[in-house]
Order: sequence, then structure tokens, then C-alpha cells
Amino acid sequence: MNFEHCIRCTICVENCPVLRVNPDFPGPKQAGPDAQRFRSDREKAEDKWVLLCSQCKRCEMACPCGVEPAQIILRAQQRYGLEHPLSPAHLLFANNYYLSTLGSLTAPLANRIAATKVGKKIFSAMGIATYIPFPKFRFRTLRQEKKTRSRRSRKVAFFYGCFINFYRPDIGRKIIQLLKSFKVDVVLPPQWCCGLPALGNGNLALARSFALKNTASLSNYIDAGYDILYSCTSCGLCLLHDYQGILEIPQAKKITENTYDLHEYILRLVDDNYIKPQFQEVPRKLAYHIPCHLRALGIGYPAAKLMSLIPGLTCEILDDTCCGLSGSYGFKKSNESTAIQIGNRAVAVIKKTGAGAIVADCGSCRMQLGGLSGLATLDPAEVISEALGITLEKKRKS
Amino acid sequence: MSVTEYDVIIIGAGVAGLTAGAFLAGRGFKVALVTSGEPTACLSTGCIDVCSRDHNPLLGIKELPPAHPFHLVPEQTIRESLNNFQAAMMDMGIPYAGALTENRFVLSALGTFKTSCLVPSTMKAAPQDTKDSIHIISFRGLKDFYPSYIISRRKNTKFSVYDAGVSSTMGIASHFEEKEFLESFIVWLKGQNIDEDKIAFPAVLGLESAAEIVKTIATRVGKPVFEIPTIPPSMPGRRLFNALKDYFRKKGGTIYWAWPVVGIEKAGRLIEAVVTQSEGRPNSLNARAFILATGSFVGGGLVAGRETITENIFNLPVHVPGPRETWFDNDYFSFNHGIGKAGIMVDSSLRPAGTPWENIFVCGGILADTEILKNGCGHGLAMATAHVAAKSCMEYIR
Ligand SMILES: Cc1cc2nc3c(=O)[nH]c(=O)nc-3n(C[C@H](O)[C@H](O)[C@H](O)COP(=O)(O)OP(=O)(O)OC[C@H]3O[C@@H](n4cnc5c(N)ncnc54)[C@H](O)[C@@H]3O)c2cc1C
Ligand code: SF4
Ligand code: SF4
Repeated sequence: MNFEHCIRCTICVENCPVLRVNPDFPGPKQAGPDAQRFRSDREKAEDKWVLLCSQCKRCEMACPCGVEPAQIILRAQQRYGLEHPLSPAHLLFANNYYLSTLGSLTAPLANRIAATKVGKKIFSAMGIATYIPFPKFRFRTLRQEKKTRSRRSRKVAFFYGCFINFYRPDIGRKIIQLLKSFKVDVVLPPQWCCGLPALGNGNLALARSFALKNTASLSNYIDAGYDILYSCTSCGLCLLHDYQGILEIPQAKKITENTYDLHEYILRLVDDNYIKPQFQEVPRKLAYHIPCHLRALGIGYPAAKLMSLIPGLTCEILDDTCCGLSGSYGFKKSNESTAIQIGNRAVAVIKKTGAGAIVADCGSCRMQLGGLSGLATLDPAEVISEALGITLEKKRKS
Repeated sequence: MSVTEYDVIIIGAGVAGLTAGAFLAGRGFKVALVTSGEPTACLSTGCIDVCSRDHNPLLGIKELPPAHPFHLVPEQTIRESLNNFQAAMMDMGIPYAGALTENRFVLSALGTFKTSCLVPSTMKAAPQDTKDSIHIISFRGLKDFYPSYIISRRKNTKFSVYDAGVSSTMGIASHFEEKEFLESFIVWLKGQNIDEDKIAFPAVLGLESAAEIVKTIATRVGKPVFEIPTIPPSMPGRRLFNALKDYFRKKGGTIYWAWPVVGIEKAGRLIEAVVTQSEGRPNSLNARAFILATGSFVGGGLVAGRETITENIFNLPVHVPGPRETWFDNDYFSFNHGIGKAGIMVDSSLRPAGTPWENIFVCGGILADTEILKNGCGHGLAMATAHVAAKSCMEYIR
């Protein structure tokens, strides 16, 4: 991050989805490198508009000079969070992990409250948007799943993340089966929220405490010869980028060096001739919405590469649009209209392809785009499982 | 079979890289393009300069100094490259007007004329002389566009201001994509009862559908309408970049964003892979041939130190025009800065001269002796040399 490398070319500005629809946000150049010149440790932060940045990182991907405006803004957001009391919504979403743990322990009740008018009113009073249904909590989280081991040579520890754990454990189970079918040992290491929601809501201390716990846990597995896999691209970005960067976690480098995107890992297995997947025909047309954070990971689009090997499947890559939800960003009342406008643009682009369903690696992208478009949404792992004929085993010993 | 191996890897997502990429991908080669950021095309007017030394660009090219890389491109290939470009842009919905044998004029925001060869259809109606009377529409609060500059240089010119509710280039352009906004704007425009022959706008008339929007306005008010290019953020530049990028993808190419190439793997006279920086671990991409299209100084392909100029990926020898005193003319706005000659010298197949490498081909702004500013040969030269590089690449691989 170096604001002085900015040549003021405004390429970042052209890429910012928030600036496009919300005139209150000055955009990455002004909120990032330009304002950085005037930020001083001796004065209280007054740049509340930094909270309007959704941290999609599109500005960073586009900047030809390596300036990283989103990083500059992220730091300003943390500072603002530290110096100003934040809204209940910010507090709640920062603590999303604890909230979700509670939600899944009391799943039927929590889901019912979230769906009622009263529930929605409470949400609204707390500054939470309700334009798309709040995700449903699942009783049996992935965490309660038993460790699955087989005696084979490749070993991975799966960082499944909050979304799979609390809302879609079935996808998690599918991923485990997929990996098992590739002769890969899978364990579920003890893990907490990656910390990104806390960071996105201006709570650096909480993010750091999550990160420290995760690092300690994952590091043990790395020492024991495991590779770490993630499937949520935002968790991945946080583990790989923010642990080393803004969170300054001492052992972060080790995590970064040994952590892979699920599909990136599978591609490596193919390249190493460890597996030769025999894909069955999947006669479908899908629109692949590339999550902003997958772009930001800088690993290309490995799931797209894998899906391109599936006969009969056409999968159009769409990476110019942001879904607008950006994790908990769009769930805040103050960002609702921004999130909807950005999301509708993404939906318009998707609809233009004539695809029957949307694929996206990120659960919150799927929630937003499914909600706004009415189309079915899939995780790439589901598509790949389908092509390999993998279904969830019905009888599970629990 | 490796799934991450390519026939050709192109470095740089500028006009040169994307053109070469689409050419090769369209002929069935497996092509990947890696880029650190977005190119200078985004900063440009979107107009395709071929050579501004003569009213007929083809004659202008003949007058260029002998060392100019345009002399390495057969006339047939220059024609082919512009034809391919026009067909591609038609396909992507942003048609270009003009012909290789005749330069056109584009009215600039200063009221002067810019000479170019192919222009976006949104600028086609720009006056070619000083006779037409013009009515300029500007937007409240829009920065860096002052109709009075133009009026001070042209007789028969008036202006009006429209309040779009937002004042940023991106915000206004975004609004024009909305049907209701466009409709109420047209109603307002008709109410102005404009007497002048033509109506001019700063280039903010939409992002994806500008060609359509301009057509709609022109039909509804019954007068020719044209856009005047602005300084960045430049919408016509972005439209050009987006269209080239989507076209490359449509032809089957793969793009890796935010992958600055930091090193290479080599064996004898061959480059085997390029190494790119991504989070955690370097990624290397293998290919049989490589096209270097990283642009000049602004693009990032050339890096100037105090006394030296370097190319940092392959460490190719850089032609430096002379000692530092000769790099810059005293007049900042001069077209004669010596540094415009800096770049990579090549042989007739566009392999870097004086190096052992058999499988690198160089094209676009990074070439030596282009003097792009002085000769008015930006995108046109990039397209033409991209065709030569792509063809040499094909010949080499076969
Ligand atoms: C401000 C400006 C305005 C211009 N306006 C016009 C105009 O109106 N009309 C016209 O015809 N020409 C114009 N030009 C000239 C024109 O843009 C260029 O000459 C032409 O497009 C050359 O493009 P290129 O593809 O060679 O390189 P560039 O456009 O410079 O692109 C280089 C690409 O390489 C990437 N890159 C650089 N280093 C690395 C690395 N280490 N690893 C990976 N990727 C890397 C960059 O991110 C970028 O994507 C303009 C130029 C500038 C600077
Ligand atoms: S893209 Fe980078 S260099 Fe250009 S204005 Fe934005 S931060 Fe500055
Ligand atoms: S991270 Fe996204 S929302 Fe924030 S400034 Fe950058 S582009 Fe805009």
C-alpha cells in the first residue's frame, strides 16, 4: 500500500460499483490515496463516508500502479470504528459468528423470528435491511460433523467458514465427499469465523482475536502435513491477505503458503496426475458470477477451468459486476439502496446470458443474486459433484 | 494432460495484448492473458489513432522515420488489423466509423480538433470543419468540462446545462443507462428548442449502450448528436477496453487479473514459464510461446531510473535514446521528448533483437522508436504490431 504511487489516472474510480450508484461516496481515489494525504493521527477521524466502501477490492484489481485504495480505506474504516460508536448493525455483524452460533442452536425459533413482520421491524430498527430473506440457520452445523479420514496420502484440513457451517452444511458435506472421491483425506480442524465480518464492521480487535485462534489451530495441521483448503473466497482472501496484512498475525505467512482454494487444489491434483476425473455430461447453461474476492485472490478462476472440462456445460464468466451485498454490507439499512442498485445491474448482466442458473463461489453473492433474480444458485462444488455423480450419502453415522 | 498449460501466454491487457490474444484464440490456440492492472486504453479517447502525419494514414506511415516499427508491418496486415477491429467492435455493440485511407476530426473539450482514424460511432457526427453551428449540453457540477473553452474557439456555438442529480462522470453515465432517466432527459432536451445544426455532449452518454443511447437521442430530437471525449475517467476509453476484453473472452481466451509477472523460468533459448506474484506463493504458468505487450512507461512495461531504462520481466535490452539530458524537451507540452523513442528493438518477426530468445514476441507501446505522441499512432500501431506478433507466434508453434 503506497498512496504516493498514485498517478491519479482514475481507473479505480471507473471500477467502483458503489461510486456508480451512490453519489455520497467519493470513490476509491478520493477516499483512498487522495484523502490519505490529509489523515493525521493527531486529529479525530471525520471521514464517515469511508464506511460506504464495501471492500469489494475492485479498485485494487484495476489500479495499474499497485496503490491498493481498498487497503487504505479499510484502515480508515478501522480507525473510524475505533473513534466513533458504531450502529447496532455494525456491532451485530462484526459478531456474526456468535450470533450465528446462537442462531443455529435455536434454529427453528431464530428462523421464525427472522421471517416475521415483528422480526423484520426489529431488524429494521437495528439498521438491518430485509429486502432479501435473511439466511436460514441450520440445526446441524458442519462443525458437529465427525472427522472423516481415510488412510491415503493427500491430507487436507477444510476451513469451511460460517456460511457453510451455519446455513448450508449440505454443501460442506458435498465438498468432503468430493475430496474423498479424489482419494484425499479430509479433516475439519477447530475453527472460528475468519474475521472478515468483524473487519468489515470496523472491529479490528475482534477480527484479530478470531485470526489468532484460527492461525493457532490451522498451524498445527500444517505442521502435521496437511494443506488447508477453503471454499468461501472471502474467507480465503481474509486468511491469505488480511492475516498477513492489516491483522499482522505473526504466523500468517505459514498459513498463506499452505492454504488453497478448493478448486485450485483439485486442479493441482489433475496437473500432478494424482486424479483423472471422468466428468459426465451436464447439459446446462450457467452464468458464473465471479465473486469480487475470488478476483482479488489472484489465483485466476480455477472453478471455471474445472467446469470447462465438463461436457455439455456452457458456463459464461461474468466478472465485471459486483453482487452488491458484500457480506454484511448490504444487510445494513444505510447501504440497502446501494446494494440493490448494484445487485440489479449484476442481475441484468446475468439475465442477458439467458442462463438457467447462477454459479458463484461465495454464499452471500448467491443469496443476493438468487434473491434479486429469482434464479436458482449453485456453488461450483455442487456443479462438479453433479458431473461426477456425487450425491450425499443418505445414511450417515452421527 | 495439464489443464493449466497454454499454447501462448500474453502479458498485458492493453489494446496490443487483447488484440493478439483474440487473434490467436479465434484460431483455436489455448491463450491466457496475465495483467497487473488495466491499460492505457482506459485513459484514452477511445479513438484509434493510426498515423496523424498525413491526412491519409497510409501515406503518413510511409513518411515515418526508417526505424519506426510500423515499417515492420506489411500494408496488407495493417488493413487486416483495422478490419478485424471494426468487425469485432460491431459484434460487441460499439461500432467504429472511419477508414484507413482518411483521417477524421474529433472535436476536443478545448475546442480544438484531434486527428484520428477510426472513431466510436458516438463521435461520428463531430464537425469536420468550422461551419456547423453547435449546441453543447453540459451537466451541473461535472468537473473538467467547460463549454466556454469550446465557445471561445468556435463561432455559432451555444451551451445549456442539465442537472442530472449527480455530478461525477461515472454517475451520469450510469444514469443514462436507465430508461426513465433517458426519457426525462430527452423531454427536457426537446423543450430547449435548439436551433443549432448539431448537439454535442461530453462523453458521458452511458457505459455499455452508448451507441444506442446516442442514436435514440439523435432520432428523438431530429438532429445529429455527438460526444466530445473528456479527460479520465474517459467513458469511450472504458467502452473500448471492455469490448476488447469481452471479445477476447468470447473467442475463448482466459484472463488472469492482478497478476503482475515478476519472473521467468527458462531453458536454453526458450522461455518455459512466467512467474506471477499472488498471495502466498508464486504461481507459474507454462506456455510454448509468449507475447510481451506491457506497454510503455504509463502501462508499466518500461521503467525509468535516474540514468537507465529497464524492462523487468525478461530483462530485454532497452533502446535508450541518449543520456538523460536528451530524454525531455524543455517544453512540457512538446511532442518531441526524446524518451518517446525508448523501447525494445525487434527483428521482422517481432522477436527482441540481440537476445537468444526464440519464443518471445513483442508488440504495442513497448516497442522502440514509436514516438506515439509525435506520430499520432497509439492504438493503431498496437493493433497492427499485435497482428504481426500473433502471426509470428503461430508460425513458431506450428
Ligand atoms: C493518457 C493516454 C491517452 C492516450 N490516448 C490515446 C488515444 O486517444 N488514441 C490512441 O490511439 N492512443 C492513445 N494513447 C496511446 C495508446 O493508449 C497506447 O499507445 C496503446 O494502446 C498501447 O497499448 P499497449 O497494449 O501496448 O500497452 P498499455 O495500454 O500500456 O497496456 C499495458 C498492459 O500491461 C500490463 N502490465 C505492465 N507490466 C506488467 C507486468 N509486469 N505483468 C503483467 N502485466 C503488466 C498493464 O497492467 C497493462 O494492462 C494514449 C496513451 C495515454 C498514456
Ligand atoms: S487506479 Fe491507482 S493510480 Fe489510478 S487513480 Fe486509482 S489509485 Fe491512483
Ligand atoms: S473496495 Fe470496492 S467499494 Fe471500496 S472503494 Fe474499492 S471499488 Fe469502491
